[in-house]
Amino acid sequence: MAWLRFAVVALVLFCGSSLAAPDTINPSVRVKQADRLVDLASQLVKINTQLVFENTGSDAARYVLVALDESHANTLAYINAILVEPNKGGVKPLKVEETTVQNHEKSSNRFYRIDLKTPLTTGKSVTITLECIHTHHLEPFPREITQKEKQLVKYTGNHYIVSPYTVVKQKTTVNLSARNIESYTKLKPVTQTDMSLNYGPYENIPPFSEDPMLIHCENNTPFLTVRNLLRQIEVSHWGNIAIEETVDLEHTGAILKGSFSRYEYQRESGSGLSSVKNFKTILPASATDAYYRDDIGNISTSNMRVLSDAVELNLRPRFPLFGGWKTHYVVGYNVPSYEYLYNSGDQYILKIRFIDHIFDDMIVDDAVTRIILPEGCHNIQVKSPYPIDRLPDSLHFTYLDTKGRPVIVLHKENLIEHHIQDLEISYSFPRILMLQEPLLLIVALFLLFVLVIIYVRLDFSISKDEASENKLRIAGFVEKILSHQLKRINAYDAYDEQLNKLKQVKDVNSFNSSLRTITNDLKNETQAIADLQAKLKTDGPESAEKVAELQKLDKALKELLNQQQTLYVEKLIPAKINRTAFVEADGPLSKKKADIREKITALVKSLQN
Amino acid sequence: MGMGGFGDPRPKRSHNADKHGLFSNASGWKSLITFTVLALAWISGFASRLFAVIRFESIIHEFDPWFNYRSTAYMVQHGFYNFLNWFDERAWYPLGRIVGGTVYPGLMITSGSIHYILHSLNIPVNIRDICVFLAPIFSGLTAISTYLLTKEIWSSGAGLFAACFIAIVPGYISRSVAGSYDNEGIAIFALQITYFLWVRSVKTGSIFWACLTALSYFYMVSAWGGYVFIINLIPLHVFVLLLMGRYSSRLFTSYTTFYIMGLIMSMQIPFVGFQPIRTSEHMAASGVFALMMAVSFLKYVQTILTKAEMRYFYMVAVVGAGSVVFFTVVLLTYAGVIAPWSGRFYSLWDTGYAKIHIPIIASVSEHQPTTWFSFFFDLHILVTTFPVGLWYCIKSINDERVFIVLYAVSAVYFAGVMVRLMLTLTPVVCVLSGIAFSHLLGLYLKEEESPSSQDSDSEDDGSSDKSSRNLYDKAGKLRRMRHEQMKESDGLGSNVRGIVVMAMLMMLMMFAVHCTWVTGNAYSSPSIVLASYGQDGSRQILDDFREAYYWLSQNTHSDARVMSWWDYGYQIAGMANRTTLVDNNTWNNSHIALVGKAMSSNESEAYKIMTSLDVDYVLVIFGGVIGYSGDDINKFLWMVRIAEGEHPKDIRESDYFTERGEFRVDSEGTPTLLNCLMYKLSYYRFGEFRMDYRSTPGFDRTRNVVIGNKNFDLTYLEEAYTTEHWLVRIYRVKKPDEFNRPRIPLSERKIKRSKIFITKKTNKRRKGTIKNKPTVVKGRKPTKTA
Repeated sequence: MAWLRFAVVALVLFCGSSLAAPDTINPSVRVKQADRLVDLASQLVKINTQLVFENTGSDAARYVLVALDESHANTLAYINAILVEPNKGGVKPLKVEETTVQNHEKSSNRFYRIDLKTPLTTGKSVTITLECIHTHHLEPFPREITQKEKQLVKYTGNHYIVSPYTVVKQKTTVNLSARNIESYTKLKPVTQTDMSLNYGPYENIPPFSEDPMLIHCENNTPFLTVRNLLRQIEVSHWGNIAIEETVDLEHTGAILKGSFSRYEYQRESGSGLSSVKNFKTILPASATDAYYRDDIGNISTSNMRVLSDAVELNLRPRFPLFGGWKTHYVVGYNVPSYEYLYNSGDQYILKIRFIDHIFDDMIVDDAVTRIILPEGCHNIQVKSPYPIDRLPDSLHFTYLDTKGRPVIVLHKENLIEHHIQDLEISYSFPRILMLQEPLLLIVALFLLFVLVIIYVRLDFSISKDEASENKLRIAGFVEKILSHQLKRINAYDAYDEQLNKLKQVKDVNSFNSSLRTITNDLKNETQAIADLQAKLKTDGPESAEKVAELQKLDKALKELLNQQQTLYVEKLIPAKINRTAFVEADGPLSKKKADIREKITALVKSLQN
Repeated sequence: MGMGGFGDPRPKRSHNADKHGLFSNASGWKSLITFTVLALAWISGFASRLFAVIRFESIIHEFDPWFNYRSTAYMVQHGFYNFLNWFDERAWYPLGRIVGGTVYPGLMITSGSIHYILHSLNIPVNIRDICVFLAPIFSGLTAISTYLLTKEIWSSGAGLFAACFIAIVPGYISRSVAGSYDNEGIAIFALQITYFLWVRSVKTGSIFWACLTALSYFYMVSAWGGYVFIINLIPLHVFVLLLMGRYSSRLFTSYTTFYIMGLIMSMQIPFVGFQPIRTSEHMAASGVFALMMAVSFLKYVQTILTKAEMRYFYMVAVVGAGSVVFFTVVLLTYAGVIAPWSGRFYSLWDTGYAKIHIPIIASVSEHQPTTWFSFFFDLHILVTTFPVGLWYCIKSINDERVFIVLYAVSAVYFAGVMVRLMLTLTPVVCVLSGIAFSHLLGLYLKEEESPSSQDSDSEDDGSSDKSSRNLYDKAGKLRRMRHEQMKESDGLGSNVRGIVVMAMLMMLMMFAVHCTWVTGNAYSSPSIVLASYGQDGSRQILDDFREAYYWLSQNTHSDARVMSWWDYGYQIAGMANRTTLVDNNTWNNSHIALVGKAMSSNESEAYKIMTSLDVDYVLVIFGGVIGYSGDDINKFLWMVRIAEGEHPKDIRESDYFTERGEFRVDSEGTPTLLNCLMYKLSYYRFGEFRMDYRSTPGFDRTRNVVIGNKNFDLTYLEEAYTTEHWLVRIYRVKKPDEFNRPRIPLSERKIKRSKIFITKKTNKRRKGTIKNKPTVVKGRKPTKTA
């Protein structure tokens, strides 16, 4: 596969270079006026050039060319051209493309073609602002400084604008970050005001004129470079997008020489001027649940401020960063997906930034963005605002995934804040798949319950446990017997109640009628117990014996009650017996009854156990 | 806690309960209560261990856990076999350490397999989180195994009590809070489940349970060095049972099965290897095994011989067998086949032993004898109730209660010797206190039942006994007869019962409060992140340790060798991923002594040692700025002592004391102390430091003195990094060509030469001349020299 891809790439390159004819420098175009602003106030070199092109020839020019010398071209991170039309009161971005120029193929300069919207006709002029941003162009000099020393940087450039055309009039302003300038080249006319240098105006400079410019000045602004950035965006259709950035940070200014003294760093204000103690990262306004951590846990020295239009994280690395020191951390947060994810039916579009802000004037040497889309996405297309390498897709597995989520991996080098622009990723996703995960859970739990039910209901033992089965059977019988016994006792209680009533009310008829039902009950229960007892005999002779005992006692109790009843009905009601005699006769009966009842209670208890 | 813990878990029923079939099932109720209580014990045990995570973060604590975490992460990354063969060249430089062979791998395997299972289910949990939460999760398993053990010994009600106790008792929490990723976290579970299975197998005499005992013993062996406790306690149990004449075939089956299987399996752990048959610590088990065989043989002979013959034979056999075993052991020990007891083992019997012979053991605070205070602190009310439970067990002794009695007695002894062994005492205290509480509450609540059932009767309570007849509340539970109820009222009055029950509940409540308080305040500090509280109650986090370790990991060469005292070895390896000279493994005393010597020598002597050990950085902990008492100056005397043990000629402890025998760092301190490396590294440039404008410079807040030696410079080292609160200071050892050459400003640099060569070149004469140029005489060949 690799060689095939190589072949295709080679073929495309070959075709591209041979088919597209090299551009030519139109000798009749000249630059009427050029104002260049070189901003050295941060670690970036920002060059803003306003160029007024004029066509003195007869042919209309459809494009103009700009050039960069080798050192600037190598550090170029961003180039952009804007058409300025003051009379129409607007600015328009123009297309800038790197190109080759006839007769200059071997030159070290690099050319960029700016396509004009309307061709530049004879005698007309057009104003274009060219914005170039260079990274790692400022060179710390000396390379190593001690903690007390200030950081000095060296800028190498050209006094004249590198242009394929004759420049009629040009001037350059250089903005610095501090007043302290060690040295600068003095190509007259040059003036120094407060924190800036003014070169020019220089007039009628022929194309590709060179005159080295060197500025050596103090610059204590943070020289921080993100060596590697891994940005991971995990999209969930349930309403959340999780973003996590893993950052390898290095202080790329002058390297710390000798020892680091905490005492001086804390006590002396002029100590460690170029070191970076903290920086601000700006997150989207809807960001929540931000975290800031590294391999060994949370970095406790950070603050989060929620502003109206952004969330500002004040990140402080575990230690101040001096020249050459590195650190590594992870920042993550959640944003709601409705701000970034749009859909119509099953078609989705995700609009999210390729990189986000890390600190002001940042430099990212190497960025990889991984976008994890929900499981089941297909037809994925990526549209980017600037060329980005798309690495082979991969799969990501997380909670409840079965076949993995598609991951889009994008890669680009040498990025700055101007690259914070939206990507557009479109894909289709059948919405029914949203139900996949809940269903998966339901099925899994259902299967679990079924398994438990099967396990509990079925006997998996390889040998039969006679003893315990027997025990269970006996327990079953005993329980039934006991419930009958309870009913019987209830009947006896009713019996007692009726006797009491009889004693007081002396209504034999109603007593007899209720007694009939009670005796009926008693008979039934006793019969039921006897049946069960017979069944129990084979399995648990011990329990059966107890039940037999119970039956015996029950018989005695019944006997006693019958005696009492006769005593009441035949002696007390007809008043054949006087009070004392009745009490004498009734007392022992009641006592015996109580004794038997106690015995029954004891028996029932022993049966229960 | 305490809920459902009524002595006899016979379910109490409501009156309408018998209408519903669900509630009339007694075993259903019982298992529901058991399940609920155990689940709650698990949850509350888990939750109360999370103080550190909530207050700080999910992070590995202290020292040893960092090593465990590092090796777990290594195992997860490289696989199990690579882990077993792992030679760690980042520890004990230049010796290295064979990690696979010197570690109990149970912990790593446990969390590694959890990680594996979760990841195969696509649950992407970080291995660090598994490590952090492993101990709290296992505390729930410990509660369940304690429940099972207590149930086996007493009753399930006591088991529920014991489970609740062990879930929150500080003595166990101290080793199992979230983040305390150490062997003990899983070992206590293994210990309890092994004991449960052992008791079960003694009870049943089944080979199945004995095999399970051996298996769980194998897990314990793989998890913690404390397995020696099991392999001595179980034989002791067997031995005592034999002495008590409680020999049975059940005992024979279970012990022999357990011993043989346990022995073979324990030898599979590389770190244990042949120790079970070659060291004295394990000899008791084999001795009892031999005895067991002898006894069973005698029992067999008994069936053949007559009584008179038997008595004679018995005497001879017992004396003979005993002396044979004893002399074999002595002889083998003497011959060197069996290793004598190790130093740590001796220090269990003689508390002063370690201090004299092995200062490195004595230098660890957790190896100190336990104070009474810490018994109460760790166990609270249980320390008073557990003798009650012990008494109940002794009063109604049986085979398995002998075991718990022996466990209690031996654990109490060991806990008294070493603070660390409080951990082995805690489970048995919970078991016995569970028994005590269950028994007491059972006593006082049981009789409450029938009056309470009457009280709840709204119709007419107490007016007539007959009226309550219809209120049977249960099938088969017959109402008590009149005089039975009268008998009850002869006993304790309901007031007394109520007061006792209330008092016990109060104690339990205070126990719960105490546990929470201790856990929150004493045992939940990660110790690598410190928190200080301002006067307004605001919390400030001091994250200096991680600051320094992370600096090391990011800004030093990957092979850099860092010298520090051994306490910080594991942390440096774990967090900074740099090579250390010594670490918490402390296997090589002389290497540690060498580091101690370097720390206690003066700078130039120390430099010799450091160059011979290829040291690149030196790391010291200094608490003088914030008043952190656990810093290196306070540990310094141990460094001196350990160094003196190996190098008595060079280092003498007395040199570091003043004439009055004091250890001071102020101006009265001895010159040896004020010029040694540790002093200089701790106090470098501290002499100029002042907290605020009123305080004197160089005031050490930990020792509350102004330091004695203020203005000194370092010749052989330079400050590489010092953390924000000066807690960790890292120095770079200069290369031989760097030091002793003060930097001369460019203008003052003059190169002195003896022979000054002046060029003859001038502006007009540009042609240079070459010095000692051979003169060429034209027209003649130079004469050949031989």
